[in-house]
Amino acid sequence: MITPQFIWLIFLLPVFSFIIISFFVRPFVKAESRITGYILITALFTVLALSIWTLLSVMAAPHHEIPVPDINWVVIEGGVTIHLGLIADSLTAVMLIVVTLVSLMVQIYSQGYMHGDPGYHRYFAWMSLFTASMLGLVLADNLLFLFVFWELVGLCSYLLIGFWFHKPEAADAAKKAFIVTRLGDFGFLAGILLLYLNTSTFDIHELHKLAITGALASAILTWSAIGIFAGAVGKSAQFPLHIWLPDAMEGPTPVSALIHAATMVAAGVFLVARMFPLFEHSTEALTTVAVIGGVTAIFAASMGLVMNDIKRVLAYSTVSQLGYMMLGLGVGGVAIGIFHLFNHAFFKALLFLGAGSINHATGTFDMRLMGGLRRVMPWTYATFVIASLSIAGIWPLSGFWSKDEIVVSTASQPVLFSLAMITVFMTSFYMFRAVFITFGGDYRGGSQNEHGGHGSRPHESPKVMVTPMVVLAILAVVSGLWNVTGHFGTFMGHGQTHSFTYGFFHPFTQPLPWISLILAGLGILLAYAMYSKQWLSPEKTGNFFKPLYTLFYRKYWFDELYENIIVRVALVKGLFGSLKQFDNQVVDGAINGVARGTIAGGRAVRRAQTGQLQLYGLFIGIGILALVLVLYFAG
Amino acid sequence: MNLALFIPELTLAVFALLVILLDLFTEQKRLLVQVSVSGLVISAGVTLAMWGESFPAIFNNMLAVDNFALFFKLLLLGVAFLVILASISYTQKFARFQGEYYALVLLSTLGMMLMAATTDLIAIYIALELTSLSLYALVGFLKDSKSTESSLKYLLLGAIASVVLLYGMALIFGFTGQTQLGEIARVIQAMSPQTILSFPALTLGLVMLITGFGFKIAAVPFQMWVPDVYEGAPTPITAYLSVASKAAGFALILRVFFSAFGLPEWLSLNWGIIFAFLAVIGMTLGNIAAIPQTNIKRMLGYSSIAQAGYLLVGMAAMGFSPVVDILGRSSIIFFLTSYALTNMGAFIAIIAISNKLDSDLIDDYTGIGKRAPLVALALTLCLVSLIGMPPAAGFMAKFYIFSAAVRSNLLWLVIIAVINSVISAYYYLRVVNVMWLGKAASEEKISSPGTLRLGLVLSCLGVLLLGIIPGFAMLLAEFAARIFVF
Amino acid sequence: MIANYGYIGLFLIAVILFTLLMVTIPIALRFLRIVPDNPNPVKNSIFECGMETIGKTWVQFNFHYYFYVLIFLALDVLVIFLYPWAVSLRQLGISGLITILILITIIFVGYIYAWRKKVLEWK
Repeated sequence: MITPQFIWLIFLLPVFSFIIISFFVRPFVKAESRITGYILITALFTVLALSIWTLLSVMAAPHHEIPVPDINWVVIEGGVTIHLGLIADSLTAVMLIVVTLVSLMVQIYSQGYMHGDPGYHRYFAWMSLFTASMLGLVLADNLLFLFVFWELVGLCSYLLIGFWFHKPEAADAAKKAFIVTRLGDFGFLAGILLLYLNTSTFDIHELHKLAITGALASAILTWSAIGIFAGAVGKSAQFPLHIWLPDAMEGPTPVSALIHAATMVAAGVFLVARMFPLFEHSTEALTTVAVIGGVTAIFAASMGLVMNDIKRVLAYSTVSQLGYMMLGLGVGGVAIGIFHLFNHAFFKALLFLGAGSINHATGTFDMRLMGGLRRVMPWTYATFVIASLSIAGIWPLSGFWSKDEIVVSTASQPVLFSLAMITVFMTSFYMFRAVFITFGGDYRGGSQNEHGGHGSRPHESPKVMVTPMVVLAILAVVSGLWNVTGHFGTFMGHGQTHSFTYGFFHPFTQPLPWISLILAGLGILLAYAMYSKQWLSPEKTGNFFKPLYTLFYRKYWFDELYENIIVRVALVKGLFGSLKQFDNQVVDGAINGVARGTIAGGRAVRRAQTGQLQLYGLFIGIGILALVLVLYFAG
Repeated sequence: MNLALFIPELTLAVFALLVILLDLFTEQKRLLVQVSVSGLVISAGVTLAMWGESFPAIFNNMLAVDNFALFFKLLLLGVAFLVILASISYTQKFARFQGEYYALVLLSTLGMMLMAATTDLIAIYIALELTSLSLYALVGFLKDSKSTESSLKYLLLGAIASVVLLYGMALIFGFTGQTQLGEIARVIQAMSPQTILSFPALTLGLVMLITGFGFKIAAVPFQMWVPDVYEGAPTPITAYLSVASKAAGFALILRVFFSAFGLPEWLSLNWGIIFAFLAVIGMTLGNIAAIPQTNIKRMLGYSSIAQAGYLLVGMAAMGFSPVVDILGRSSIIFFLTSYALTNMGAFIAIIAISNKLDSDLIDDYTGIGKRAPLVALALTLCLVSLIGMPPAAGFMAKFYIFSAAVRSNLLWLVIIAVINSVISAYYYLRVVNVMWLGKAASEEKISSPGTLRLGLVLSCLGVLLLGIIPGFAMLLAEFAARIFVF
Repeated sequence: MIANYGYIGLFLIAVILFTLLMVTIPIALRFLRIVPDNPNPVKNSIFECGMETIGKTWVQFNFHYYFYVLIFLALDVLVIFLYPWAVSLRQLGISGLITILILITIIFVGYIYAWRKKVLEWK
């Protein structure tokens, strides 16, 4: 059984790593040194061991929860007391494994990918801070601290997207991500405050209890749940706040793998799961989650069909899969949504690392400039294909198991069901489109301009980058087997268990898995036909569906909509215009008046400060006299 | 008498003499730094070993060896360490007298440590003089006209203040017939209020004590020396003055007013009112006068006057409910710790920047954010802490002090203090604004020596730690303040 | 309370009156011609043990005297402390001996300092 001190250590080790790197290594050690990476990797290795220990202990614990005593953060005797505490339940334990495992793999990979970058130390400092905040986010036991960590991961995401801040696209993308997610966070904050005003507690356990016993009025429950969900929509890039994630791909690729695929964007899903009792008791809120999730899934997948930048394909795929998870939460429950999160983290991180590896070799992310990499990058190719099969939902890879559960649980709702099914087809098509364009055919030249271009001949990446990919590939194959027996479901609190062989072959006795498998197979076949064998010309197909193609390629004109209508017209002209008027007329007037007054006061005081000693001495005398008078009149 | 309890002070004295001797016989001035630092470390080590236990007072009840004193000794030693770190690159300006410089820093630290421990009026005076005489010399170390002028001013005004203090002590001695603080308290508590009130000697003595101490902590209206001296003194010494001198002064005030005049309550109410009055004019005058300043050292001088005002809010809170309120005492200790780290950080950053720019003018800090991003970041953090915004230590410090004041029914005082905090944001943020948004005159990067960086890192780390996990430090502060429970 | 200060007030008034009186007596005597008025140079000179003053009072003297005075002062203080210690040496015992040795060491360091800084050399 793990003790609470060790659970604290899970959070504190990355914090120490951040402190050591940013305060002691960065100011004093040369940028060429690789020590920072090793510091973080060592910390994460320990944290991973502790996380596994936590998971095993939580599995063994009654009710799948280890009690962790609170620590008093701010205590004023007889006044305010703010507690600082951790949750160690099944949800946290699973999230800990996801975060530490993926983070560890990504950091090892980064040792190779970021080697020689002038911002090497800065990179690992932010990565430490991110990992620490993410772990804090999944461990937090009250909404206030959860929100603090929520904002911190957002901040790290901002800093890491804009890591190469000298590139204007990166800086713009960072700003966009920050602002768009902030919109959702307003909702989140409002939800928290609404809950606090009605229950006067931030504690998640107590809120659960209140929701389950029905002590909260249903309107408040619904509105606060929707507020919290708004935060999740922003962070998990759900429709209509999805626009920031594809642009966030301007950051270094390992960052995309860790933050914008596996962990931070999944925090929205985690948040909904964490507050699930609130959603469960409000049909409206739960339906909202399911519908937004379903719509996002197909909506993002459709845009992924036509992108030429491999990271953007993956980004839309992430948005779509996150939609899937939300859908799973909305229709199925915590276990189903989180199980997909769990599996998705591994194969999607792997896909991004693969994209990074390709970029390392070719110097570009544009798939049209790649091709033929199958032969020169066998490891990258093999792992990328495994991940693609997994995300497409091919039996018996991990993606199949979680996706199947989501599809099955939507069966009673025809609209959502058909959305899910179409998405299955689209997913396998765009993934294998990427596979065939990138790895099939002949090499089309690459580019020398961007990060990592190494000359004309592409080559396999160094071992330090390939090893994490192989580890993740193994996980992408096996991680789904956890719930074959139904154990993941019972661990999360519902469902029942059965034998492994029964669970392993059971899907073939049902119609639904067959349908989704066939759809996925069709998607792969279509991609093969269009991009490998060229039986169908992509251009002609594109022209045939010209309006649709343009619609997808232009991302439904969402960016333009936000940019032109909302930002330019509504905000800049309307709101800011009137604010400016108000500022000029009223605020400035008041401020200037006050400022003038204070500055005049300051001048007067300064005039007394003449530098003349006699006067200063005199002031001491006057002071004594004044004190005596004060005492005489007030004492 | 147990001399072993006096080892921290003795160590410092021995090392100060050692530094002077070494300076005479060696050309390697680095050695002086190493010797001084090792003196500080040994002294701190011994002090740390004594922490937590209770010892009897030594030298016939003249020096207390309690946790309160130990806490302040550690704080002062830490500050002295940072000051020495900050001085290493600065002392090149006066290469001739390095031995004297470090020895005087050690001696004044010794004096301040004694100030935190004394429980006797005579010992208080000696400790104060030891501190002050060392500081007078240190202030004039640059030997240019400004530095010399400020040193002389400090000396003369300090002499006036110490005369007033002595006069106050004489009155109190005359009134009670005792010099030991505990004995004074016993005599006062044995008297009836009528007897005390019919003689103005005690209250007049109190006012004079406050004047003498108020000079040390830069309380308005005894602050006139501050801007001139801060501007003229070598920058590390300015930092030292603004932090250590103030901390020791407050330690003294806390001890004297608590152990001698804490009871009866109507008496503490009387000095509570004086402190409230001093707090209001201190905060207001300090903040308003800081606004038009163009020299950053001078600005921080006025800022430190304002900070003393916030600290006096805590003193007032203490005076208004001396028996029940431990928060007031511990919040002052917490504030002093946080202020020490913050101001040290700010001054080290200023040394790092000004050394290269050769200017203390705020306008010359334009665009420093681009030329020295790390230093500018650290300075920004410290200024944010001085304003009192989270997540820096200053926020928690003000939070504690203000809640103590609210609990002593001093809401009006807190409101004035909060308004003052808002005003202060104006001049602190102006520096931040200039550093990050201004256009630099040159693109040349400013590099800083490793010692300054180390000092900066340590203080910023402290500021963040106190700001993010204040509970631990607050626990220590409460532990230190526990000796004052009646 | 005021009554207590009344005596001090009376005393103050008496002091002032007495001072004024002492100043007015010679003037009054001169005015009344009781004292004869026949000045000569010796009578008008400042009382100086009979010696004539030479030059101005604001003369400059060598700064080195100042150092000597300081060192002398330090040694003087040492002697002041040594006398009572020597008288009661037996009662104070070994701790008294150590204490005085510490004091001597400190003064001695100061002496070495002055010596190395070439204060004792006259240039």
